[in-house]
Amino acid sequence: MPSDARPQELTYADVNRDVVRSLVETGSKYYITLACSIGVMLTCFFFPWFYQLYYGIGAAGVNHPSVWGTYLASFIFWIGLSHSGTLLSCVLHITNSEWRKAMYRSAEAMTLFSLCVAAMMVMVHVGRPWFIHWAVPYPNQMEMWPNFRSPLMFDVMAITTYLTGSTIFIYMGSIPDFAAVRDRTTGWRHHMYVVLSLGWRGTDLEWHRLRWAYTFLAVLIIPLAVSVHSIVSWDFALSIVPALHQTIFAPYFVVGAIYSGTAGIVTVMYFLRKYMNFEQYITKVHFDNLGKLLLVLSLIWTYINIVELFTGWYGGTSGEIEALRYRLFGYYAPLYWEMILFCAVAPLLMISKRFRTSFVPMLILSILINIGMYTERFLIVGTSLSRQYLPDAWGLYVPSLVELSIIVGSVAMFITLFLIFVKIFPSVSIYEVKETLPEPEPDTTTGEPEWQPTH
Amino acid sequence: MSFIDDFLASWREYREPGYYDGFDYHWTMSVDLDRCTGCGACITACQAENNIPIVGEDAIARGREMQWIRIEKYWEGEFPDVKLRFIPMLCQHCDAAPCETVCPVSATYHNQDGLNAQVYNRCIGTRSCAVYCPYEVRYFNYNNHHWDAPLEQQLNPDVSVREKGVMEKCSFCIQRIRQAKDVAKDEGRRVQDGDVQPACVQTCPTEALVFGDQNDPDSRVSQTMNDERAYHVLEELNTAPSVVYLRKVETDAV
Amino acid sequence: MASIDRRDFLKLVGAGGVGTGAGFMLREAIKHPVENLVPYPVPPEDFSPGIATWYNTVCSMCSAGCGITVRTREGRAKKIEGNPSHPVSQGRLCARGQAGLQVLYNPDRVTTPLQQTGERGSGDWLPLTWTEGLSQISGRLGELRSSGQGGAVCLLSEGQRGHMHGLFEQFMANIGSDRLVYYDYDHPHPLLAAMNRLFGTSELPYFDLGNTDYLVSFGADYLGSWLSPVHHGLGFGRSRQGRDHHRGRFVQIEPRMTLSGAAADEWIAAIPGTEGIIALAMANRIVSQGGYQGDDADAWAAALEPYSADAVAEQTGVAAETIARVADTFAGTGPSLAIGGDGAGRHSNGVDALTAITALNYLAGNLGIEGGLIFNPEPVAGQGAAARHASYRSMLELAEDAREGRIQVLIVNQANPVFTMPAAAGIGEALARIPLIVSLSSFMDETTAMADLILPSHTYLEAWGDDFPEPGVGFRAGAISQPVVSPLYDTRDTGDTLLAVAAAVNPDGALTAATTEEYLREQWRAIFERDAPTEEGTAQAQEAIAAETVEAAAEVVAQAAPEDDAAADAPANAEAAVAQVAPAEGAVATNPDPAGWMPDAFDEFWNSLLRAGVWGENTRAEQGPVTVDASVIDAIGVDAPEFAGSSETYPFILQPYLSLNMHDGSGANLPWMQELPDPLTSVVYGSWLEINPETARELGLRDGDLVDVESPQGTISVPVLTFPAIMPNVVAMPVGQGHSEFGRYASGRGANPIEILAPQVEPETGSLAWNATRVRLNPTGRRANLVRTSGLSRDLGRGIIQTTATGEAEEHASTKLRSIPITVEPA
Ligand SMILES: Nc1nc2c(c(=O)[nH]1)N[C@H]1C(S)=C(S)[C@@H](COP(=O)(O)OP(=O)(O)OC[C@H]3O[C@@H](n4cnc5c(=O)[nH]c(N)nc54)[C@H](O)[C@@H]3O)O[C@H]1N2
Ligand SMILES: Nc1nc2c(c(=O)[nH]1)N[C@H]1C(S)=C(S)[C@@H](COP(=O)(O)OP(=O)(O)OC[C@H]3O[C@@H](n4cnc5c(=O)[nH]c(N)nc54)[C@H](O)[C@@H]3O)O[C@H]1N2
Ligand code: SF4
Ligand code: SF4
Ligand code: SF4
Ligand code: SF4
Ligand code: SF4
Repeated sequence: MPSDARPQELTYADVNRDVVRSLVETGSKYYITLACSIGVMLTCFFFPWFYQLYYGIGAAGVNHPSVWGTYLASFIFWIGLSHSGTLLSCVLHITNSEWRKAMYRSAEAMTLFSLCVAAMMVMVHVGRPWFIHWAVPYPNQMEMWPNFRSPLMFDVMAITTYLTGSTIFIYMGSIPDFAAVRDRTTGWRHHMYVVLSLGWRGTDLEWHRLRWAYTFLAVLIIPLAVSVHSIVSWDFALSIVPALHQTIFAPYFVVGAIYSGTAGIVTVMYFLRKYMNFEQYITKVHFDNLGKLLLVLSLIWTYINIVELFTGWYGGTSGEIEALRYRLFGYYAPLYWEMILFCAVAPLLMISKRFRTSFVPMLILSILINIGMYTERFLIVGTSLSRQYLPDAWGLYVPSLVELSIIVGSVAMFITLFLIFVKIFPSVSIYEVKETLPEPEPDTTTGEPEWQPTH
Repeated sequence: MSFIDDFLASWREYREPGYYDGFDYHWTMSVDLDRCTGCGACITACQAENNIPIVGEDAIARGREMQWIRIEKYWEGEFPDVKLRFIPMLCQHCDAAPCETVCPVSATYHNQDGLNAQVYNRCIGTRSCAVYCPYEVRYFNYNNHHWDAPLEQQLNPDVSVREKGVMEKCSFCIQRIRQAKDVAKDEGRRVQDGDVQPACVQTCPTEALVFGDQNDPDSRVSQTMNDERAYHVLEELNTAPSVVYLRKVETDAV
Repeated sequence: MASIDRRDFLKLVGAGGVGTGAGFMLREAIKHPVENLVPYPVPPEDFSPGIATWYNTVCSMCSAGCGITVRTREGRAKKIEGNPSHPVSQGRLCARGQAGLQVLYNPDRVTTPLQQTGERGSGDWLPLTWTEGLSQISGRLGELRSSGQGGAVCLLSEGQRGHMHGLFEQFMANIGSDRLVYYDYDHPHPLLAAMNRLFGTSELPYFDLGNTDYLVSFGADYLGSWLSPVHHGLGFGRSRQGRDHHRGRFVQIEPRMTLSGAAADEWIAAIPGTEGIIALAMANRIVSQGGYQGDDADAWAAALEPYSADAVAEQTGVAAETIARVADTFAGTGPSLAIGGDGAGRHSNGVDALTAITALNYLAGNLGIEGGLIFNPEPVAGQGAAARHASYRSMLELAEDAREGRIQVLIVNQANPVFTMPAAAGIGEALARIPLIVSLSSFMDETTAMADLILPSHTYLEAWGDDFPEPGVGFRAGAISQPVVSPLYDTRDTGDTLLAVAAAVNPDGALTAATTEEYLREQWRAIFERDAPTEEGTAQAQEAIAAETVEAAAEVVAQAAPEDDAAADAPANAEAAVAQVAPAEGAVATNPDPAGWMPDAFDEFWNSLLRAGVWGENTRAEQGPVTVDASVIDAIGVDAPEFAGSSETYPFILQPYLSLNMHDGSGANLPWMQELPDPLTSVVYGSWLEINPETARELGLRDGDLVDVESPQGTISVPVLTFPAIMPNVVAMPVGQGHSEFGRYASGRGANPIEILAPQVEPETGSLAWNATRVRLNPTGRRANLVRTSGLSRDLGRGIIQTTATGEAEEHASTKLRSIPITVEPA
């Protein structure tokens, strides 16, 4: 690992101070942001959703034959976004990349929260969410059992597993940090961290076990993450809808997921760095490395898109050709070309190191990539369903205001969850960052906390 | 190895065409395209029989029509050498139904009579079945529908009214089948050819539709299936439909 | 905080509980006025809860007169199906027949007698009792009658047949008026005139589609709206695929493709109004090629001389070879059949055209044979009804009388001329001059809205009546209409209302029956007694009725269904079979022991009639040779059609066709019919103007562009819809929408093309030549919401509807159930 990944001028004490401060020192800016995002979440997500619960799915623009719409597109999008967090963190952990250490915690949090938002999107998507538990296998007096042949059922399994795995992973990795914070806080926070840190004392045995379990989980989660988006792709690929029934879908979705997830990390990193004063922890090195990764992913993604077009064309059936034609030149074509611009063309800028190490351009690009990736998911659903086998049944789908509002609201939900997270979890891993620092002199003072609450 | 052998045997049995021949009945419909005039009587008959709601102009404008059987029409050629062909499209009650595999809660399944049954109470409204159905014959309740009083008095008490969030589709008028089976059972016999006719078949003025049991080789529907004009729509998808179409005869200038 | 001890606590809880309870009860009491619990321990006799009861009656959604059987549960009608024993419907129904339930349960019915309290048309209605309503009208009619002005009473009704016609006639005789006027927009005046001219018959003939091998239809939408669509549908299906190795072929000649045109094997576009000329060219070809060998062949040859195929090709827009080919096939295929419908008949030359078309059957020897044109016997009842049917011209006379004050009271019964007559006729304004308008209609339609008093009738599912279908099926057949449910509202049987009024106005009149049912029984007793000997009866003879009835009914159906598909329709159990089977008159007439009858057998007969819903003979009379009068032959000829408006100013000919769903507009208040996609365009809930795609392109019009359709008589706004099968200089529009009244589903929706029709008439009959108006299109620049259920109506070579050619059966046998790959070029 390049040694400049390490925040050079920092000491252990600085790390403790900075991170703990990020948890307990809360300015009015934070509260205003939190209030805004909760407000947006309530008005743009929950209010329209409740209206939809009352009225029926008809509140959305879905119709016959386009019975799926933005809710499902959002679902794939959030699942996709979840990908880079934990997956990337695991890969980097196994490959011992040092630059991972400052960013992995928030990346993992992204995973968690995008999964939560994705789960909410499922609730919003189905017609009768009050019976959603019927999709879960549990013994019941009705003797009902879900259908294990259904890719939707695979989804439920894969996503719950992934969510469980990711939760344990982020939690386990945070235990030493909780302990560190526990020792430096007072009042209710202290009590909370006492519980969260599970009595961590930092003995050798504890460290040994943590490392072992952590690595074990990391290895476990990699195939899991890959499988999750493969399975999500099967919701589509196992259908016989032209342009959805494609073998390339699993890798296509996985690559797309990692791609959008990585772009998401860049976005989150930017804001963490800027607004949580982590300039010294999250540096150009991170942006440079993430940029390289993004570049590679964008190339793979582009390649897969070309393959997809080719298979459609080569398949040559009327259905496939029409789906292709419609995607490239039909009603939604502007969206298609927007996606190509944002996800295949614009990322080529990252060939330049100067670009990769410029924060604001990277932020903009990362957001554009995710807009493009959202579009991709929308197109997968929108174009394919409106042009199926029987032309007389063709239709057109345009999202309704309720749907657009819920998309905005779901972003707010994600932000809200993240804002709450940064006040509970040390969003930069204290102990792993410390590992990259020179050992300090043995502590000879009284053992007072380096940092005192200011009140 | 017997576990694997069992598994393979069941698998083969499941995939084997004719798997459903083993069941009591195998309800089948044939549609003679040479007879069908596209008149739409079947549509209204089905609406009347099956409590299909009137959705209103706005809903149809938004693509939310509800007609379990619809008449697709396709133009061929340009004026003056122009032809218009019709095809009634309803649930094909596929023996290898893609809609059944995808439903996470088994709300749609294959019953012992070869019907693709839809359990409204069980449906959670994922709409995946509608995506998976290549015939586009599944209709979703985007909202609750109401009948302007006293139109609700027409509702058929033998058929449930569906609520918002539930998928619905042609049932081959399962309530009529059930009634015919009840009568036959009381009389200690099998249901005979002609005992049961779905509403659409019953009303069709040109007698384009024939309904019956494919397992009974003498039934009229079995005979139409052996007609040289018989084909399945989208046969290449291997859904093994239980609706057989008879090719339209088109002679050139006579 | 104040301390509360145990006692205080208990008090508070007590007070709170009482308060909450009282509040709740008060609220409930305010919300629901106390309803009495009405126990239902003894249900009505004729149904068992949970078990359906079926009643046979007659569909009156159009004039075809299909026999229906209505499924009821717990006293409510649930489903209408065709009566398998009825020779017209044979168990089948059209969409409108199915939708009859929504007439019964229509939310917009007039549920009680109403009086207009404000100005006419103001819609200020005040409910009143039947006693008041009846005394109002009886009082007025009584005054008029006693002052010798009975003739100033006009009864304007939808067409009546059978004994109901007799009741209407007698009612008018009672009042002392001869102004009984039936008005139906589509009454086939021209066809009746043509039949009369050619063959001297006043009945519509039976067109035996089911056995024909080659049908040439000139603008007759026999599958959609013409005469008897369900029966024609049966014939069409049977001719095509109901006979072994014997497939009938169908040709349709018309300017705009109808449902029947789409079903045809060959669709030939012809310039509007030239159908008769094409027929004459075919006749010319047949005669000149020696295809006709009758004694009068020379007379025909002379009369047809000017109409060679070459001579008419340009005028008609049909190539000479095509005419010759169709003529040759027509003459060379037996039996063949030529029919002419509204497309040909509703022109200035309509009667001539239909005469020419019908004459083809004479020349090809199709008269009186299976698969050809079969003459109907005179109906058993309802003679003289045809003479009462008003043409457009006689409606104008009526309007004139109204304007001149010669009509004092107008009684309207389910007729709606204000909607179905062109604005040019000024019927609304004329009717407004009549001092008293009483409507017996069940719905607030445009004409009823002008009434002073509404005495609402039952709908047909609640009412009594009988029917002798027209056109018949080549032998005598009739059916009883009976109530299938008890009336939903405070309405009355039309017959009962008339009987009550007649009794009040003229107690000494010939109308003595108290109810329509009683009246009908009397009439049917006459039929029964005429056909059955009246001596002493035996039980044995009565048994014979039942047995023979079943057998004979089967024959009635078999007669109409030669390739008997009826087996499949047989009711599931024996009991149902009796209820659905016809007590054919033949059975009564052929009773082995005529001496064994007694008059009481009538009750038996009546009951079995109600059970079966149908009555008839089971044999078709032999048809003797038919000759056509020489003068008719000499006069045969079809002039060029005349159109209102010059072709320069008004470049398009407007074809206002009867809609499959709405018919003449009477179906527009049925939500099922609004929601049933139009078969050819998939439009729902609206009006549209069909235009050739090329023409639309030239005019820069796209689907959904709103245009003003302007005729010399007025303008309506309609969205255009490109329609691949319409001639470039023709535009077509369905009739039925554009109501200003008629309930929530119909009013304020679409446009009514009848409104702008020019008052062109066919001179002989005076009937409206509704295809003879020219229009021009003025784009408005606005778009309209054209709601359609279809996506793309081209199959892109996907083989969704597969076809085969006759004779290639073997080849297709090998492709059966094999994978047919979908491989085509991109669209
Ligand atoms: N409005 C109204 N309320 C009533 C009455 C009334 O007449 N009117 N009657 C009262 C009387 S007398 C009674 S007994 C009660 C009855 O009240 P409930 O016991 O609620 O009776 P049901 O609704 O008939 O059946 C309950 C559920 O059992 C399910 N079920 C059916 N078979 C099986 C099975 O084999 N296994 C399982 N697990 N479930 C099954 C049904 O689908 C249904 O959802 O209602 C009382 N309440
Ligand atoms: N299809 C169907 N059949 C069922 C059942 C079902 O769920 N579905 N449930 C079964 C069960 S659990 C039960 S308990 C039985 C119930 O079957 P029943 O005992 O027949 O019950 P109900 O039909 O509710 O009521 C019977 C009659 O009592 C009348 N009634 C009401 N109040 C009074 C009164 O004060 N005095 C008198 N004299 N009459 C009164 C009602 O109007 C009604 O006509 O049904 C059984 N049968
Ligand atoms: S009722 Fe029969 S003829 Fe009419 S559209 Fe339906 S299948 Fe075709
Ligand atoms: S036609 Fe569609 S809904 Fe019906 S069984 Fe086949 S796949 Fe399922
Ligand atoms: S919509 Fe209902 S039936 Fe269809 S897949 Fe979802 S739960 Fe199953
Ligand atoms: S079989 Fe029954 S449910 Fe299916 S389309 Fe026909 S009438 Fe409707
Ligand atoms: S053809 Fe006329 S009479 Fe027959 S069912 Fe249709 S509407 Fe009724």
